[in-house]
Amino acid sequence: MYIKVNEKKVFASTGGKPFKKSQPLVLFIHGSGLDHSFWGLHSRFFAFRKYSVLCLDLPGHTHSEGPPLESIEEMAAWVNDVIIAIQASAVSVIGHSQGCLVSMEYVSRFPELIKSLSLIASGYETPVNDFLLDAAKNKPQVAIAKMMSWGFGKAGHLHQGTIPGNSMIGGGYKIMKGNTPNELFADLSACNNYKGGKKAASNITAPCQLILGGKDQMAPRKASMALAEVLPPATNIEMIQESGHMVPLETPNQCRDLLKTFVFANNPTS
Amino acid sequence: MSDFFSFDTLSLHAGQTLDPEFGSRAQPIHQTTSYVFSDTDTASSLFNLERGGHVYNRISNPTVGVLEQRVAALEGGSAAVCVASGMSAVFCALTALVSQGDHIVASSNMYGGNISLLKNTLPRFGITTTFVDPTDLKAIEDAIQDNTKIVFGELIGNPGLSVMDIEAVAKICTNQHIPLMIDGTFNTPYLCRCFDYGANIIVHSLTKWMGGHGTSIGGVVVDGGNFNWGASKKYPTITEPYAPFSGINFWEEFGPSAFATRIRAEAMRDIGPSMSPTNAFLLLQGIETLSLRMDRHLLNTKELLQYLNNHEQVSWVNHPDMPSHDSHNIAKKYMPKGSGSIITFGVKGGRDAGKAFIENVKLASHLANVGDAKTLIIHPATTTHSRIDADALIAAGITEDMIRISVGIENVNDITQDFNGGFRAAKKFI
Repeated sequence: MYIKVNEKKVFASTGGKPFKKSQPLVLFIHGSGLDHSFWGLHSRFFAFRKYSVLCLDLPGHTHSEGPPLESIEEMAAWVNDVIIAIQASAVSVIGHSQGCLVSMEYVSRFPELIKSLSLIASGYETPVNDFLLDAAKNKPQVAIAKMMSWGFGKAGHLHQGTIPGNSMIGGGYKIMKGNTPNELFADLSACNNYKGGKKAASNITAPCQLILGGKDQMAPRKASMALAEVLPPATNIEMIQESGHMVPLETPNQCRDLLKTFVFANNPTS
Repeated sequence: MSDFFSFDTLSLHAGQTLDPEFGSRAQPIHQTTSYVFSDTDTASSLFNLERGGHVYNRISNPTVGVLEQRVAALEGGSAAVCVASGMSAVFCALTALVSQGDHIVASSNMYGGNISLLKNTLPRFGITTTFVDPTDLKAIEDAIQDNTKIVFGELIGNPGLSVMDIEAVAKICTNQHIPLMIDGTFNTPYLCRCFDYGANIIVHSLTKWMGGHGTSIGGVVVDGGNFNWGASKKYPTITEPYAPFSGINFWEEFGPSAFATRIRAEAMRDIGPSMSPTNAFLLLQGIETLSLRMDRHLLNTKELLQYLNNHEQVSWVNHPDMPSHDSHNIAKKYMPKGSGSIITFGVKGGRDAGKAFIENVKLASHLANVGDAKTLIIHPATTTHSRIDADALIAAGITEDMIRISVGIENVNDITQDFNGGFRAAKKFI
């Protein structure tokens, strides 16, 4: 569905069910250069279990009006504007990669409506090397190839996956290609410049879970564990050993089961 | 170091997840109709596309799924759906987009089955087609109407062997916001990955070079994931809620695989042209050696072109790799390795000489197929294209004296020796 936020058109898929503000909301926030379709299976799961679902396209990405936002702080404020615009009342936030940085910043600054926070494949900072930043700006095909190559584990590289006929890496490539060069460069720059993650993570009071991929090359173990140390002590930390960075795509069933248990417990439907 | 596995490696491995119980190295054949659900929640999740997996073989199957992912990988697509035949692939792809009152622009130089579907079957459902010369860009552009939903052609036309300038046609399609569908059967992704040049949908008869051994009928539709279905209201089957599936919106929810998901949700369920798991296994075996076979097909083709061009009983030879061919430069651009292993030629002495030639070769098989590892020959005017009228025959570039060879991978000296026997028998009609 399309909504107006700050006079701009914003797209969010709703998991195949109409959005109802009376229902608890599951809010999905995608990673760099990606879009709402990253969450296809997961969004349908919650939408068909009495949750309202919004899988956002960040500004400038795929169906949302641009320009892309330039900092994680701006994105967090924008997410809050979305939540106000749709008048949600009980929110479970699920972020992946860059979406985790946005989620942490948003939840730490606007905690009132938050029932749970699920962070998938992230540290509290995401430094981006100069080569990738330069490629995102000047040679987007190279940047996409690197991100797809580093982002997916062996199953992705062999075009395996649980959805019959689908190539995860092929689909991911096409989404990212549509969000280059401006959006991808803005996203990666925002990640690289964001230094508030440690503070944001330590300010989170909502129930929190951290889902990690055991073979993640983009949010390596050391960075994820550093994040785990500053999140609330009761944070559920889950490691899916066989997954790379693209956990919701690479191991959708395990990922969904973890999200389901956590969201159902902390943001129950009536 | 490359970021991704090469074509050859993907041909062997893509899509296959090793069997965790027995470690079977070859892809097992899942010869079953249906799959046991672990619980009701899992069952409902599978039915509702919340979870990947298999429900019933008409919709999907693990062995077929490996083939689908392998072809998607080789083509550089986002998703693929395998079906019972190449014609099923064309039908499913077209009907995922067109409805009563819609229009198609199609190449006049295509496989006779494609022409018949467009000319005879689809009009019964109110879907019309304008046929155009695939090398005439202006004709393609002029044929597009307000209700045109798709442009469809073959990279290498069958059997005329004209080569479509896909990049130029894709530009026309993009400007008009219409997807371009290419039948890539004759080129295979080894010779040309048509998505790289702007095609949006690729269909194959896997029966041919992809499978390569003449054992199994099969087809595939590959979704390029590169068409913006939502940019207009022209494609409601993709962008509007689909009532029979809980109002699913394929475009919103599945983005780059929206088109393939629509085919699986509708065509596979309501029409049911499913591929058998055993055929999928056999086709996978073929794809494992695709690049090796194609290299040999091309090598033998080169040798045979030389042989035929120098033969006194041959009146003409047609292949895009020949500098004299109208499509030679375009063919070189899209298929630098070589433009396939179909040769057509005319034998002096006309129809009777052609008949004598075909009946007196021993090694080459006279049959209605192409792309087998074995050399095949046929007379299109009396067989594959016998049901289309004289005008369509001319438009397809078919003449009465035309013999079509699908060059196999035998030792080429044995093929030429075999052809010598055919020419000896044909000589008396000159």
